[in-house]
Amino acid sequence: MLQLFKNTSYDIVNKRRFTFILSLVLIVLGLVSLFVRGLNYGIDFSGGAKMQVEFSQTITAEELRAKFTEKNLRNPEIKSSGNNEYMITLNPENLDDAEIILAEALEGTDYNLLQMDKIGPKIGRELRANSLKAVGIALLLVLIYITVRFEFRFAVGAVVALAHDVLITLGLFSIFQWEISMPVLAAFLTIVGYSLNDTIVIFDRIRENLKVHKGKPITDIINYSINESLSRTVITSVTTFLVVVILALFGGQVLFGFSIAMVIGVIVGTYSSMYIAAPILVVWGHKFKEKEKPEEKKK
Amino acid sequence: MEVIPDMSKKLIWRYLVIVALLGWAVYTIMPTIRYEGLSGEEKTLLREEGKLLDLESKIIKRGLDLQGGMHLVLEINVPDFIKKVADHQSAAYYDYMEKVDAQYREDPEADYLDIMLQTANRDSLRLSRYFPAPDRRTDNKAVVDNLQKECEQAVVRAEEIIRNRIDQFGVAEPVIQLVGNKRIIVELAGIDDPDRAKEIIHNTALLEFVLLKDPEYTQDIINRIDAAVKRINPEEIASLDSAVISGKKSADKEISVSELLGIQEDESAEESSVLVDENLVAEHPFSALLRNLGWDIGVPKENFYAVNKILNDPEVVRILPNDLRVLFSAKTRTIETVDGGNVEFYSLYFVNREPGLTGDAVKEAKAELGSVSSERMGQPIVNVRMDGEGTKTWARLTGANVDKRLAIVLDNKVQMAPRIENKIPNGRTVIEGFANLPEAQDIEIVLKAGALPAPIDIIEERTVGASLGADSIRRGVNSVLIGLALVALFIIVYYRGAGTIAIATLVLNIFFVLSILASLRATLTLPGIAGLVLTMGMAVDANVLIFERIREEYLRGKTIRSSVENGYSRALITILDANLTTLITALVLWQYGSGPIRGFAVVLFWGIIFNFVSGYFISRTVFMSFTHGKKPLNKLSI
Repeated sequence: MLQLFKNTSYDIVNKRRFTFILSLVLIVLGLVSLFVRGLNYGIDFSGGAKMQVEFSQTITAEELRAKFTEKNLRNPEIKSSGNNEYMITLNPENLDDAEIILAEALEGTDYNLLQMDKIGPKIGRELRANSLKAVGIALLLVLIYITVRFEFRFAVGAVVALAHDVLITLGLFSIFQWEISMPVLAAFLTIVGYSLNDTIVIFDRIRENLKVHKGKPITDIINYSINESLSRTVITSVTTFLVVVILALFGGQVLFGFSIAMVIGVIVGTYSSMYIAAPILVVWGHKFKEKEKPEEKKK
Repeated sequence: MEVIPDMSKKLIWRYLVIVALLGWAVYTIMPTIRYEGLSGEEKTLLREEGKLLDLESKIIKRGLDLQGGMHLVLEINVPDFIKKVADHQSAAYYDYMEKVDAQYREDPEADYLDIMLQTANRDSLRLSRYFPAPDRRTDNKAVVDNLQKECEQAVVRAEEIIRNRIDQFGVAEPVIQLVGNKRIIVELAGIDDPDRAKEIIHNTALLEFVLLKDPEYTQDIINRIDAAVKRINPEEIASLDSAVISGKKSADKEISVSELLGIQEDESAEESSVLVDENLVAEHPFSALLRNLGWDIGVPKENFYAVNKILNDPEVVRILPNDLRVLFSAKTRTIETVDGGNVEFYSLYFVNREPGLTGDAVKEAKAELGSVSSERMGQPIVNVRMDGEGTKTWARLTGANVDKRLAIVLDNKVQMAPRIENKIPNGRTVIEGFANLPEAQDIEIVLKAGALPAPIDIIEERTVGASLGADSIRRGVNSVLIGLALVALFIIVYYRGAGTIAIATLVLNIFFVLSILASLRATLTLPGIAGLVLTMGMAVDANVLIFERIREEYLRGKTIRSSVENGYSRALITILDANLTTLITALVLWQYGSGPIRGFAVVLFWGIIFNFVSGYFISRTVFMSFTHGKKPLNKLSI
């Protein structure tokens, strides 16, 4: 039997001071960036025209940019998307003009328009509003579910872990100015599901062990539960991590943002279910015991 | 031996369920496998036999991002539609609409009709004076409600017309659907010429036959525009919001004040063969931009934007008579100058607002090249025949206006403006002025399908080339295979025999998801493939949870059989709890996601559902066959 974690007894809960501070620092950094730099919304949410162009001859991004600036045709955002392949984002007043501007700038070069997305500003704002609604509804439903299935303090732990994961991922997207597109948003929601998945497996163990080992200190029970499910947590995270890394490497330009968001989500989600969600139960539990004890004595 | 007969009965029942599931899955996926294996020639053969469509209706549909194609979201242009249905236009009406438009520009999110109602009520205007209403006393709310209804009806009609046009254009399996009460979604798969398809879809195709104003009257109007331009402070003109520019080429170039006033045009005017009285430039800033081309008023191409900007200036619009429209020609004409240079001209036409006849009267249209003997030899033309009522009107219109000029206008651009030589009694006419035959053919299509009841804007457009689609499929398939190989390697090394079972059920899981996609006619998109890859990573989780439980039980000294039993039953609740959260997010994405994202949600959803089926039910059955068999295992390979 190949076992990665044999009868481990890591004291995870008592490292909470360190992990809480670590997470807090990450979140604060992210929040600062969110306020200062904001998010880099892709054209899905901000409107504009994005064209993927393939050239038959070698051309660098600088040369390409010069073609636009030489003719005073605005300053496009240019990103490489493969071998002599570029993503050119324009935001003209009139979206219909995007192809004409492109044709004028690239006059004399041999190119092939692989893909083009044009999103009107109005529909961009709408997509943004709809997406916010979707995220809100998903969070609400998931929280209702956890509250129904577990005690309230478990729900608190799950919510904190969830907020933690989403904030850190958003923060990283802001710090690195990665583009937020529709697929990235889908990844955020998937992270919400995934992060909870991990948390719930550990909570299930804790709930079970609370019944089995009545009277033992809650810190021990939580530590014990995390260690018991450690193998599972790590193996599932590894397989999920493997596939999202493969998507990032082989999935191409379209899926890159999605994959990166998922890679971060898997790492942060796994960490938070062990080092944030579970220890929160202890913190919240202490508060409760002080209130509950007098009642127990009456019995 | 503790073989309980009850157990083998339970096993048989399980086997039956699995066989039925597999049978269903193989049956539904077969057409897809067969289709993917077909060569181009075999497909042509099947198409000739009429069997291809049937086969295509049973395979997994590929999203536009995988096969190439165009996705359009169209929205009716409410402001334009309202202006079109207005039936009484006075100075007060223009003032009112200008106010409404200004507010709408400030807050494009707001409902145009709401702004109309508020503005009218605030200024105590009676909307029934300007818009269709049962009588003059109808209150504003009722008028606006009526406009709203007309607007919605226009969208429904537009959808029908677009469907007709696309059918005639010939695209396989187009998706055309109404969304809400203002929008139409059009999806065309695998088209080679997206630009042409786009033109056909959103050309209003409003054909009008309109009489030109008399030359004297026209001259008077030009003089009035000159006077109006002189009144406008040049700085003010420069700071005007970008003019409505219908030409495309240099839409982003700024127009300088001097260019606008034609001062820089003097030089080119000298070169030009047509004469401009240069003394007029200062006195007549507008006419200085124009040239006399004998029959027509010419606008040199460089002056197009300036002229258009002046004509759209609110001050100028105000002084123009209400029954007048000023239109440009669809094409430019090249005229040789004295020194051998060429100057391109648009023609400018001053025509009646009310058309004498519209495209509704068109019964037949046919694009062709002008015959050898005619004066239009080799030119692309569209022959038009009118219906009974149209023929009568046409005869009356041409008969009463012999020797006058009549403009044939398509979408506010003048195709031609011939002089009426005599009465045309047979309801026929020829339209010329197209760049090439395909353009004439497109006009044939749109004339036959009818004009759109209102201008339609393209507010979202996503085009994917076929080569990129093929590339995406290759990337997707690679990701699935590499992902599967790595996950399999990891799990089999770690869990040995049990791991092999887990991977087998994982492959089944993917297989089932593809089958359900085929049977539901769901669309597989690139994010959908990502969902499949993600499912592989997460689906193993069920088995990991079970195996870890079995190991725990086994290490505590339980028998193989009871370890397996306990492992499965105790892991069940955890698996359910953990997967339901992802299921909820998948459902929300399904509901609120658009296009490709919905494809992701669908795959994620079914991936989780079938994870219960294969990752739990089938893998448990396989385990049970080992532990409940005649020869029970004496070693657990986990």
